Amino acid sequence: MTGLIDLQLFQALGRPVMLMLLVLAGWLSLAGAINLLRSEPWREREARWGLLLISLVFLLGFGLIGWLHWRINRQLPLELPAQLADWLNRQLANANRSAAYGLPLYDPTHPPRYVIPLWIENEKYYFWFMGYALLALLAWRRLAFHRFRGGLLLLLGIQIGLLYFLADPFAEPLPKFFSEIAPWFSTQLAPMPRIGLFMKLYPRMIFYYNAHYMWLHPPLLFVAYGCITLTFLTSLFMLARRQPEIERLGYEAAKFGYLLLTFGMLLGYPWALQAWGPNWWWDPKICSSIMMWAIYSTYLHTRLYANKPAMWYFSSFLGILCFAAMIFTFLASFLFPGEHTFQ
Amino acid sequence: MAKKGSYDFYLILATTVVLAGISLICVWAMFHFKLAGINLLPPAGKMAWQERMNSIVAPFIVALFVLLGICVPKRLLPVAWLNRFAAALLATALAGGLWFGVRIGLLVILIAALLLQLAVLVLALAGQDFLSFVKKGYWVRVGSSLVHLGLVLFVLDLYFHRLPALHLLLFWVTTTATVSGMICCFYAEGIARLLGRKPEPD
Repeated sequence: MTGLIDLQLFQALGRPVMLMLLVLAGWLSLAGAINLLRSEPWREREARWGLLLISLVFLLGFGLIGWLHWRINRQLPLELPAQLADWLNRQLANANRSAAYGLPLYDPTHPPRYVIPLWIENEKYYFWFMGYALLALLAWRRLAFHRFRGGLLLLLGIQIGLLYFLADPFAEPLPKFFSEIAPWFSTQLAPMPRIGLFMKLYPRMIFYYNAHYMWLHPPLLFVAYGCITLTFLTSLFMLARRQPEIERLGYEAAKFGYLLLTFGMLLGYPWALQAWGPNWWWDPKICSSIMMWAIYSTYLHTRLYANKPAMWYFSSFLGILCFAAMIFTFLASFLFPGEHTFQ
Repeated sequence: MAKKGSYDFYLILATTVVLAGISLICVWAMFHFKLAGINLLPPAGKMAWQERMNSIVAPFIVALFVLLGICVPKRLLPVAWLNRFAAALLATALAGGLWFGVRIGLLVILIAALLLQLAVLVLALAGQDFLSFVKKGYWVRVGSSLVHLGLVLFVLDLYFHRLPALHLLLFWVTTTATVSGMICCFYAEGIARLLGRKPEPD
C-alpha cells in the first residue's frame, strides 16, 4: 500500500522541509530573544527575511501534504468485487431506512475515495503553527516595535521546536489512518470479511474523513488559536507598558480570532449531531471550548472600556487567561476521555 | 433615579455570575467524567449521567433565559420602564409557568425576547437614533442587534432541541445571524467604506 502512494518519497521530501524550519526557527529564536532583551533593535532586517522565508517553507511543506492527500485519493479507493455490490447496496438501503443520517449507496463505477482534509493527526499542528507564522508576518508589518517583534519570533521558535520534536507530520505520516486501512489493501480477504471491513471503514470515511465539516470546523479553530496566541503576546506587553498601538493590534487579532472561533464552534454542532447522534453534551473538549469562548467574549466586552486604567490591566489579564484556556482546551484532548480525545 | 449605566452594569454582573457558575459545573463535570470512569459505563449509564448533569445545570440555564428576557428591552426603553417591563414579564412567565408548566413560562420569556430583539434589529436597520447602544455607528448597531438576535435564537434553538427539523433550521438561522452580525460589528468601518457611506464614529 505504501508503494502505491510513494510514502518514502513523501518522507524524503519532508525531511529537508522540517530541517529548514528548525534551522530558521533557531535563528529567529535567537534574534527574538536578543531583541526582547535589548533596548535597541538587533538585525531586524535579517529577522524579517527569516520570518518571510519560514512562512514560504511552511507553505512548501503544506503543498507536499496536499500532494500526499491527492495520492491517497487517487490510489486508495475502497473497491469491492462487482458481485458484492448489489448485496451490499440492499443492506445499506435497509440500514438507511431507520437511520437519521444514511450512508450513500455503493457505486461500482465510482468506488468511494478518501478526500482527507490537510489537518488530521500530526498535520493539524503543522497547519496551526503555519497559521501563526503567517499571522506573525502580518503583525510584524503592523507594529514596528523591536521587543514585540522579538516576542513574535520567540513564540514561533517554540512552536516549530514542538512541531519538529513531538509532532513531525513527515516522519510518520498519518499513522492512525494507515493502520486503519492497512488490512483492506494488504491482505487477501474472503467476500464476507471484506464486506465486514468495508462496513467498518465506509461510515468512518463518510462521517469523519470525507465530512464537509472536517474541511471547515478544524481549520477555523486552528487559525483562531493563532489569533489567540497573538492576543496573548499583546496582552503581556500591555501589562508592561501602556501603548495604544499594541492594544489595537491585540484587539484586531482578537476580533478576527473570535469570529473564526465562533463560526468554527457552531459548525461543529450539526456535524456532531450527524456523526455521534444527540448524545454529545458534556464531552470534556466541548465543555472546555465553551469556557474558552466565554472568556474570549468577556475579553472583547472589557475592551470597550480599555481606556480606563483598571480595565486596561483587567483586559490584558483576560487576554492571558484566554490563552491559558486555549492550552487547557488543547490538553483536554490528552487528559480527559471523550469523543474528541486521544485517550 | 437609577441610571441606565448602572442597570447595564448589574445585568452584566448577573450574567457573568451565571456564566461563571456554568463554567464551574463544566470543569467539575470534566473531572468527574474522568475520575468516575463515565466513558466506560454502558450507554444507559452514560445517558443517566448526562441527564443528572442536565438537571444540575438546568437552574443556571433558566436564570440565563430570565436575564435574556430582561436584557433585550434595554435598547428600547428608559430605566423606569425597564423595571416595570421586567416585573411584568417575570409575572407573566411565572403565571404561565404555574398554570401550564415551567416550559411554557420559559417559552413566554423567549418569545418576548425574540419579538423585542426583532424590533431592535428593524429599528437599527432604519437608523433610529433613540436606541441605546454603547457605540454610535450604523453598522456596529446593526451588527450588535444581529449578534444578540443570534443569541436569543440560539437559546430558543436549545429549547426546541427535541424537534430535529426545527432545531436544525433554527440553528442555521442562528449561525447566519451571529456570524453576519460579528462581521458588521467588527468590520463596520470597512463595510461603510465599501458602501460609500460616512465613516463610522468610534
